[in-house]
Amino acid sequence: MRISWVIGGAQGTGIDTAANIFGNAIAAAGYYVFGNREYNSNIKGRHSYFSLTISDKRVRSITESIDILVSYDADTIFEHFQNVKGTLIYNPTVVNTKVDAVQPMWPETVERVKEFLSSKGYEPTVKGVLDYLKSKNVELIPVNYDEVAKKVADQLKIPLSVAERVKNIAGIAVSFRILGLDANYLIEATNKVFKQDLYKKMNAAAVKEAYELASAKYNLKPLPNKKRYWLDGNTAAAIGKIYGGLRFQSYYPITPAADESMYMEAHMDVLMEDPITGDKKKGSVVVVQAEDELAAINMAIGAALTGVRAATATSGPGFSLMVEGMAFAGMIEAPVVITYYIRAGPSTGMATRTAQSDVIYSIFAGHGEFPKLVIASGDHAEVFKDSIWALNLAEKYQTLVIHLVEKTLANSYSTVPEEELELDKLRAERGKIVEKVGEDYVRFKITEDGISPRAFLGQVAIQYTSDEHNEEGHISEDPVNRTLMYEKRMKKLETADKEIPEEERVKIYGEKDSKYLVITWGSPTGALRDILEESNLEFTLLQIRMFSPFPKNLVSKLMEGRERIITVEGNYLGQTALLLRMYTGKSVDSEILKWNGRPILKDELENALIKVMKEGEKRVVLNGGA
Amino acid sequence: MAAHKPVWNDWCPGCGNFGIINAEAQAITELGLDPKKVVIVSGIGCSAKVPHYIRVPVSGVHSLHGRAIPVATGIKLANPELTVIVNGGDGDLLGIGAGHFVAAGRRNISIVVIMHDNGVYGLTKGQASPTLRRGEKPKSLARPNIHDAVNPIALAISSGYTFVARGYAYDVKHLKELMKAAIKHKGLSFIDVLQPCPTYNDINTKEWYDKRIYKLDTLPDWDPVVRKPEEANEKMMKAIEKSLEWGDRIPIGIFYVNETSPSYEERINSISPAYLENPPAKQIIEKEGKLTTIIEPFLKEREVS
Repeated sequence: MRISWVIGGAQGTGIDTAANIFGNAIAAAGYYVFGNREYNSNIKGRHSYFSLTISDKRVRSITESIDILVSYDADTIFEHFQNVKGTLIYNPTVVNTKVDAVQPMWPETVERVKEFLSSKGYEPTVKGVLDYLKSKNVELIPVNYDEVAKKVADQLKIPLSVAERVKNIAGIAVSFRILGLDANYLIEATNKVFKQDLYKKMNAAAVKEAYELASAKYNLKPLPNKKRYWLDGNTAAAIGKIYGGLRFQSYYPITPAADESMYMEAHMDVLMEDPITGDKKKGSVVVVQAEDELAAINMAIGAALTGVRAATATSGPGFSLMVEGMAFAGMIEAPVVITYYIRAGPSTGMATRTAQSDVIYSIFAGHGEFPKLVIASGDHAEVFKDSIWALNLAEKYQTLVIHLVEKTLANSYSTVPEEELELDKLRAERGKIVEKVGEDYVRFKITEDGISPRAFLGQVAIQYTSDEHNEEGHISEDPVNRTLMYEKRMKKLETADKEIPEEERVKIYGEKDSKYLVITWGSPTGALRDILEESNLEFTLLQIRMFSPFPKNLVSKLMEGRERIITVEGNYLGQTALLLRMYTGKSVDSEILKWNGRPILKDELENALIKVMKEGEKRVVLNGGA
Repeated sequence: MAAHKPVWNDWCPGCGNFGIINAEAQAITELGLDPKKVVIVSGIGCSAKVPHYIRVPVSGVHSLHGRAIPVATGIKLANPELTVIVNGGDGDLLGIGAGHFVAAGRRNISIVVIMHDNGVYGLTKGQASPTLRRGEKPKSLARPNIHDAVNPIALAISSGYTFVARGYAYDVKHLKELMKAAIKHKGLSFIDVLQPCPTYNDINTKEWYDKRIYKLDTLPDWDPVVRKPEEANEKMMKAIEKSLEWGDRIPIGIFYVNETSPSYEERINSISPAYLENPPAKQIIEKEGKLTTIIEPFLKEREVS
């Protein structure tokens, strides 16, 4: 079972809050949800929307096709009507609105909508859309939000200006009614957000009014409520890092990374428990809003030298400024983590939209050569666990770790079952740390595996320099020393490659030996797993979770004997396909690509896979999403 | 003294850096600081080699051009018991690192920033630095400098530094006392050290400075110390006014001191009260591989119910 619900409206009018309340209420009834937030780079006025998948089992993607669309304005109707297959909830006061009159819409969207309506013989107004939808047998439910607000005002004897706040609740209540679930789930979820008595009364009255306006269509029954967490990518990373022992985070505000640091600012106070004695001790996670990303990365490096687990979080433009610091971390062997929220570039690009365009960049960013570990998460539970993995890898190999999380994972939510977090399995690994420093201690001792025992600033006099240096950390341009030191640093990547089992650097789903091998990383993994579970398509799904060091032997082996190898990723160049060729010498047969800034949607991907598998298409470009 | 072995010093003979490094070593020694609790952070350039050459066994982080202040900030905040000193050139701190120089003032973090101020970029062969005055043409420049100079003292004060002084590389004893006061100061300290570059700056030479320099504390009514917050504006204005004096007479000494403003460490402690007692570097985040942080309350907030 899978229901696709979308709510849209002008940015800054509470759409997000309404969507969260709705999602919480559905989840409280025992259902699983996956919700994705799409918004413009704007605070108030432009169109934003939230797509939610409702399912009776764990779900990880959204679809282009919409079963229920909740709209308040004409903009939302024009943006999404072509995808509505089930029900449209609309405001009857906007029926006469012309497409041309909706100023927040991008001019290109306006033209496309007009062309579509005129090609089908409908007028370019909301009424034209409604007529078109009627012809497609879409159920149309008018909800006069002003009237609902007025009824609530009259009933509670409060001014209309106060009662107007219930409009968003009314919209979600009508759709909740359509699902057939008990209104109490929604009222309870609403009360958790709006705690004042008056608001509680207002919202309860609005839900009651709204329930009169529609009838149940789906008849969902409550399911047993398993322990689950409502996690978005930013929060999952923040909690993961804090649990993993991160105690210093520096950042410069940037979309879509800043929410992670802001979560930490709100949760600076931590409590630690000695697992043996049970003693508890308070501590602080220091979060510094730096003056720019140059400062952010260098502050984190400084903190790391004192033995503290340190990180920063950024997105493309900020990452570019950090490249200088990244090479510094590589040179002085500082364990530092960058959580890299990939957004649609180049340059400012589309600041609030998603992409997978920076994977090659993240592997090779930085002048000179230095070891760098790059990992990529595919869902919210992985974002949480990988945040701890990243901190461990950074200390073990005493270098920079880049953790890739796309915007769509950062800003989407899912109900994550507790067991997926694997709390009992998560451990700290700090690598070679010197407890007692001897007289002959040198920081950059040449060792077999390239990893030198690490002491912290404050324990002993230690010398660091961004110049090439000798074992003591003093500058040296001696050619033999240079060769040895260079090799020592690079050897750490080889050591990591030997020590980290390749099986842990990928995940494999579906039938192991299918004639089709689909290779992806990051968020498309969710859509592909849902396709495996919900459709008749059969394929081996290979999710790459570590790009450096690349699991080349295992991937190469998996690529053997297939009839068709397909990559799915959110960029133009087909970067994963390029990397596969580089690391394995093998080519892929077909690529499914997308770069319009929207996540890869389950239904459009399923259609593309069919084209590739049945018709042998070599390159399919997706363009779904509003 | 484990790893610390100072190496051969490759500064030019007669360089002002010798005076600065000697004053710094003496200040650290005379204050009785445990050398392993002292970290010198530098940027890139001639000045940046201080941590390699200093004879006291302190730690050194010779970082990136312009980035010494952020690196020092990370070190200090992670482990506030360390004494953290930044050595940077005028190009390093006020050119490529100017944004960090100003932002540090907004934090009033307890570190010391020592600026080697010689008016030129030494290690790249004498280009004009942000403190070289307009119209001047040291022998390394092809044409006279057409940029105006930054006033480091006024910039530091207006950025929020709470200990602002100027020293002279050839008055080591005086400079050492300034450094001791700066290290002891609670909050962010800045010392602008006038320093001849014998190789590239043939204008601001030792002879040129020797004729002009005088000490602020020889002025009968000079009192740079803010004792109550309400005195701050007036003392700042006086210090900035004094910083404009340049030419026949050049003042050195303490321009401005204000300990009434809370340090960044105190500010963090005010929003997260366990910070000073159990700072990041002291926290035990794992024991035998087991993670110690209690995350149940964080997850509870996110639980579906």
